[in-house]
This record gives sequence, structure tokens and C-alpha cells, in this order.
Amino acid sequence: MNGIKKILLGLLVILIIIQFIHPARNKSGQGMPNDISKMVAMPSDVQGILKKACYDCHSNNTDYPWYTYIQPMHWFMNYHIESGKEELNLNEFGTYTPRRQQSKLRSIENSLKDGTMPLSSYTLIHRNAILSEAEKSLIINWVQNSKDSLKKGSLTNP
Amino acid sequence: MKNIIFSMAASILFLAACNNETKKNETTSSADSISAAAVDTTPKSQQESPINNIISAYLQLKNALTKDNDKDAASSGKALETAFADFDKSSLTADKAKLYDDIATDAKEHAEHIGANVGNIKHQREHFEPLSQDIYDLVKGFGASQKLYVDHCPMYNENKGANWISESKDISNPYLGQAMPTCGTVKEELK
Repeated sequence: MNGIKKILLGLLVILIIIQFIHPARNKSGQGMPNDISKMVAMPSDVQGILKKACYDCHSNNTDYPWYTYIQPMHWFMNYHIESGKEELNLNEFGTYTPRRQQSKLRSIENSLKDGTMPLSSYTLIHRNAILSEAEKSLIINWVQNSKDSLKKGSLTNP
Repeated sequence: MKNIIFSMAASILFLAACNNETKKNETTSSADSISAAAVDTTPKSQQESPINNIISAYLQLKNALTKDNDKDAASSGKALETAFADFDKSSLTADKAKLYDDIATDAKEHAEHIGANVGNIKHQREHFEPLSQDIYDLVKGFGASQKLYVDHCPMYNENKGANWISESKDISNPYLGQAMPTCGTVKEELK
């Protein structure tokens, strides 16, 4: 057996072993008392769009696609969810300060306008998460209404 | 078969390499921000305000944006993040500490995004706008050692307008940069 074969065999063994190592799944299954829908009015069409395009990485409940059951895809996906939740967790929106809620809503609007979200690596597989112009403007309008309804004079404008 | 195994192995290595890369970047960036902050710590006035380091990092950031300089904006963003993190709350009353925490959790995130977005000055400016509101509230709550001006640009963000804080009475617009450097008006003076 030559060296290259040994290396390949070693990697194959590693690949098989990591199939048995999986991080905890992002599925809380709990009630979500701090969900953004408890804070602001959320029409069902808006909720539908957020669910299909945002909640997988920006909430405590991910709808896992089949390929994440194969490693190392699960680690890869997990990294995305971790960083997504750190930026914005729609299930925890109620725990943010009013100031941060305004900032987060503004960032949702900006990322849609700039086309940075949903991530292209995500829409590559989740084709239905590619938002049409109509869907984008629906969300942007909803964001603006939500910002106003949450404001209630908590911020002073210079 | 060999090819399949090899490509799988290569993809694992690739993923592992990606993770290492991010970590490396983080360490260098924190080292950068420490040195940038160290430059900024010289007090400028005899009357000390506790938020001096924060203000001076913000003003550096603002001046970088007026010159359309995304790299300087990013390094000042990192310096600002450090200034917020290093702020000493121990002498504050409970009320003031709460106000500070409220502002700082929000502002730190904006500073972090500005620091991470070299090459995307549009996104840096998107975060600069709410950051300016945070700095305004901070100055209102804690005072500044120097005279500051609240300026308004009516054209930014599809004519929705935006404010910023400046150390000088002359307008130098951080939102539109060199395209429209003198667009804007002084709205308020802060002492």
C-alpha cells in the first residue's frame, strides 16, 4: 500500500466517523413569548415570507433540509445559524431594548434593499426564499409600520 | 471512486480552512483596533468628559466618511467599538449606567459592522446613521468636553434625511461624501 492510498483511506475513515458527530439541532419547540409577532401586528402574508426566507437562520427553530443530515454539511449550516441568530433572532425580538428593535428593523429593510439577504448561499438551495420585488416591498412596508408602532416617543430625534 | 473520496476530503479541508481564516481575521482585527484606540486616547480638553474616547473615535469615523474613505472608516469603527468596550462604568449612578448600556449595546453593533465592511461604504453609512442617533443621546446624557454640532442632510436615503454630529460649524457631509460635500445644515449646538 503506498502513501497516497493510506492518506485517502485515513480521510475516508474520518469522513465516516464525523457522520456520527452532530451538533444539537436548532429546534426549541417551546412557546415563543418574545417572538416579533407578539410585539407588532404581523399579517399572514408577511409571516409566510419571513417563515420561508428568514426564520431558518434567524430564529430558534430551523427547518432542516435533508443534506444537513450528512456531515460536514450540518456543521456548515450550524455556523450560519449561529451567526444569523447572533445578529437577529426573531424569536427573541421582545428581549431587545427599544433602541435595538429599531436598529434591527432598519437593518432588515436595508439588507432587503441592498440584496444582501437572504444570503445567496442559502437561496442556492432554498429557491423559494428568493423574494420577488412585490414580496420585498411588502416586507419593507411592514418594517416601516412596525418601526412606527414600536416608537411611541422612546427615541428623541435631534 | 478515488476521485469521489478525494473530492470529499478536499471539501472537508476547505471547510476547515474557512473556519481558521475567520479566526485569524478576528485576532488581527482586534490587534488593529487596540493600536488605533491607543492613538485616540489623548485628552483634548481641560474639562474631561467620560465619553471623550468614544466621541473622538466617532468623529474620526465621520471624517473618514466625508472623504469616502472606507478603510479609515473601518479602522475608526473598530476603535469606536473598543472605546465602548473599555468604557469605565464604575463611577456612574445606576440610572446613568442603564442609559449607557442601552446606548452601548446598540452602538457597538453598528461600530462592529462599520469595522467589518471595508469596500462597502454604502453599508458603513447605513450603520453610521443610527450610530449618530446613539452618539447624540450619549452626548445629551453625559456631556462632551468640546462644542459639538448636530447637522442634518435632507437628501440621504431617498430624501428621508439623516443627522450626524460634527466638531466643526462648517458642513462636511459624511453621507454623500465628496459627491456633495457641503450639503446640509446645522440643526443644533451641543455643549
